Amino acid sequence: MEGRGDSILNTVERYYKDYGLRARELRNEGRRLTGYVCSFVPLEIITASGCIPFRVRGDIHEPITTGDTLLETIVCPYYRSCFDLSVKQKYDFLSGMVIPHGCDSMVRSFSAWSYSLPFPYFHFVNIPTVCDQSSIEFFSAELNTFKKSLERFVGKSITEEDLAKAIRVHNENRDRVRDLYEFRKTDPPLISGTELTRTLTVGSSLPVDEANGLYDRVSAEIKQRERSPVKKGPRILIDGACLDNVELIKLVEELGGSVVADTICNGARDYFPKTDIGGNPIDALARRYLEKVNCPKTYRANRAGTFEGDIASRFGDTGVYAKEFKVDGSILYLYKYCDPFGFEVPARKAYYKSINVPLLHLEDVYSAGTMGQLRTRIQAFLEMLG
Amino acid sequence: MAEEVKEVKPKKRMTATRAAASIGPMVKEFITSTLQARAEGRQKLAYTFIVCHHEEILRAMDVIPIWTENFAGICGAKRDAERFLQRAESLGLSRSLCTYALCGIGFDQWREELGQMPPDAPWGGQARPDFMISSGQIICDPRSKWYQASQQFMPDVPIYNIDLPYPLFQRDQDHRDVWDYYHKYIVKQLRGLVAFLEEQTGKKMDYDRLRELVDLSDRTWNLIDETYKLRRAVPCPMGTGDAMNTMVPINFMMATEKAYDFFVDLKKELEEKIARGEGEVENERYRLMWGGGLPAWYALNDFNYFNSKGASFPVETTYRMVAPLNEMDIPETRDPIEHLAWRWLGYWTFWYDKAKKRPGSEPDVERLINWIEEYKIDGVVMHEAFSCRSWHVGLIWQLHQLAKIYKPIPIYVMGKDGKREKVYRELPSLILESDIIDITSYSEVDTRNKIDAFIETLESIRANRAA
Ligand code: SF4
Ligand code: SF4
Repeated sequence: MEGRGDSILNTVERYYKDYGLRARELRNEGRRLTGYVCSFVPLEIITASGCIPFRVRGDIHEPITTGDTLLETIVCPYYRSCFDLSVKQKYDFLSGMVIPHGCDSMVRSFSAWSYSLPFPYFHFVNIPTVCDQSSIEFFSAELNTFKKSLERFVGKSITEEDLAKAIRVHNENRDRVRDLYEFRKTDPPLISGTELTRTLTVGSSLPVDEANGLYDRVSAEIKQRERSPVKKGPRILIDGACLDNVELIKLVEELGGSVVADTICNGARDYFPKTDIGGNPIDALARRYLEKVNCPKTYRANRAGTFEGDIASRFGDTGVYAKEFKVDGSILYLYKYCDPFGFEVPARKAYYKSINVPLLHLEDVYSAGTMGQLRTRIQAFLEMLG
Repeated sequence: MAEEVKEVKPKKRMTATRAAASIGPMVKEFITSTLQARAEGRQKLAYTFIVCHHEEILRAMDVIPIWTENFAGICGAKRDAERFLQRAESLGLSRSLCTYALCGIGFDQWREELGQMPPDAPWGGQARPDFMISSGQIICDPRSKWYQASQQFMPDVPIYNIDLPYPLFQRDQDHRDVWDYYHKYIVKQLRGLVAFLEEQTGKKMDYDRLRELVDLSDRTWNLIDETYKLRRAVPCPMGTGDAMNTMVPINFMMATEKAYDFFVDLKKELEEKIARGEGEVENERYRLMWGGGLPAWYALNDFNYFNSKGASFPVETTYRMVAPLNEMDIPETRDPIEHLAWRWLGYWTFWYDKAKKRPGSEPDVERLINWIEEYKIDGVVMHEAFSCRSWHVGLIWQLHQLAKIYKPIPIYVMGKDGKREKVYRELPSLILESDIIDITSYSEVDTRNKIDAFIETLESIRANRAA
């Protein structure tokens, strides 16, 4: 990735706007890119196979058209947008696609994806819904099946060493993301939420080593900063699923808030948990993705036997981030038709109350057109926070 | 908080069979008996979901299942779901989520708040459970989220969540290459359920009884298959409208003698009707398939409307949650739990091999094609219920794919040179849109207009064919 102008963040913006720019170059160089959605696809296995994982994203500015001729509008709008862009050939540089059992929208539309897109490789990874010893064993077996299918596709075997190396480099990637989050801790933060999410979004379109290089350069540049790009204001945590367009964050920041933390799928949910090293790499991956990625889709048994104990264990990470990043308020931003997150709203509300963090709950339809309506509510919330 | 206003009572749907007509009272009796059991406190009551292959385990342990989807459906059919949906909404739950779950959570919250049943609760209401058995499985997210959400209002009621995955159809994968580890996992999950029930009831599982019950439901599965296949007859003796009643023994009464006997009677009734040449409709003009989607429970008499136009529904994909055991390629075992796990996998992969053989096909599409042929279908009707992704996402694509790979209706048209030519026309299809129980999504006028237009299409195809 070549920088242009004086700032690496300008480069980030360019790659963010022309998403897939680098991927197309790599494709022209003969590399294979494997698309994926959701935080449940073990990217380490893709990297270990020699393919480049590429996160397929949606676009809130692009009306959903072709996609709607093949897929019901009761699929969550974020996922519909990803599908729409894919069937419109926006990601035609991909050689394959991996879809996990992340939610009903993903499972039930798998055939629509796999029959409508011309990629030579397609794979579905089944993710268990519970978290216990038997589900870890099952998941390890399922990941071995995934590994074998990729081996068939690339025509070479993936060794333990390949996996260990990929695990190392993806962990390094997560460390670098953590470093970027550190810049959010000052008040006002040294990096804006818009800049951070843009950077991570671009990172997920690059080979992991290039993403690591990018994050280093962004870090180096931010370190030099003497002033924050945002004014001091209420410190906001964004709670929700995948937020791969920065408009909402930008809006909060335009209105005087600072986005300093999140739980989103292309943020802390995905980047904070690391894979254990040593031991069997597939088992370690099974544990990371099932036990450590805290997604509402995974049912976690109520061991406390009380509601308060249950929410403390299910949403405890949010409380930790709220403290660590000195959060003043949280915006729970969810998409319509999203069952896994949607059913948790009353419990999450109760949790925020228990940790004394004010909450604004918004339901949206993944469209730039609704930002105007959200503006008033966000403004009122920020004013309330003072 | 929720308005306590009931919507207009629906007109009762007319059934074609005696068996279907007997279902209403049966369900009512079942709901009442759970309330009685609650009051007596002798047996444990469990909230749970249909299509989990665990009825045998529950019944062998003398646990009474409370089918929460059933109760939500009853609220819908009685046009009395809105107040529970509004209550759920007031808790912060989006109206775009599964409305069965919303209705159930709204109801639970209300009952727990009052410490008694909400006023005028349908059929006396839904009893408070001793525990809840949810199911995280590949077909539905709300099944593992619903009870977790309800538990907020009854934190003393424990949950056991069984994971029941199956291998999704992938063209480059033979499901038999992976199903051993699926089987192993499902067995462990079901054994976990047994252990949970033993702990909750203080009783030990009687495996001989379990084996008998598994055998009983296997026999019931085969009997249902034989019974439903009788609907291939022309004219068709029983339609989907009735099948929305006869789904009750399939989904809520499996592993009981009563369910078995029900199908013995229904089979006999259908055989008699066939012998008399008696169809669901008097002059059968069109044979339609209900090709997907749960019904709009408050508008079941739309089936009568179809019937009034001469349209019969000999087959539906919805709620036919059984497949012939003898056609399943699953290993034999004496262990009833292992058998349940194999039957689960056998059911979900039933169409996989066939689908692989036809270029461009896929299991759901393959099932449509097979049944179009076996039941001599003229058109496909689907219902898109907005709140349930599990059964409704993928339907448009299935129709699309069906049209792409299968054009079964030969019609004659005038060719360029004035000669008659045989061409194949796509199977006409109709997609109705509303919801399972959220009546605000439904318009009778629009629905009937759509049906009228569809019937006209079918008629013009008939006319062309006759030409
Ligand atoms: S936002 Fe929800 S429904 Fe949409 S893809 Fe993510 S988990 Fe699935
Ligand atoms: S989402 Fe569909 S399958 Fe799941 S509980 Fe609701 S109605 Fe039933």
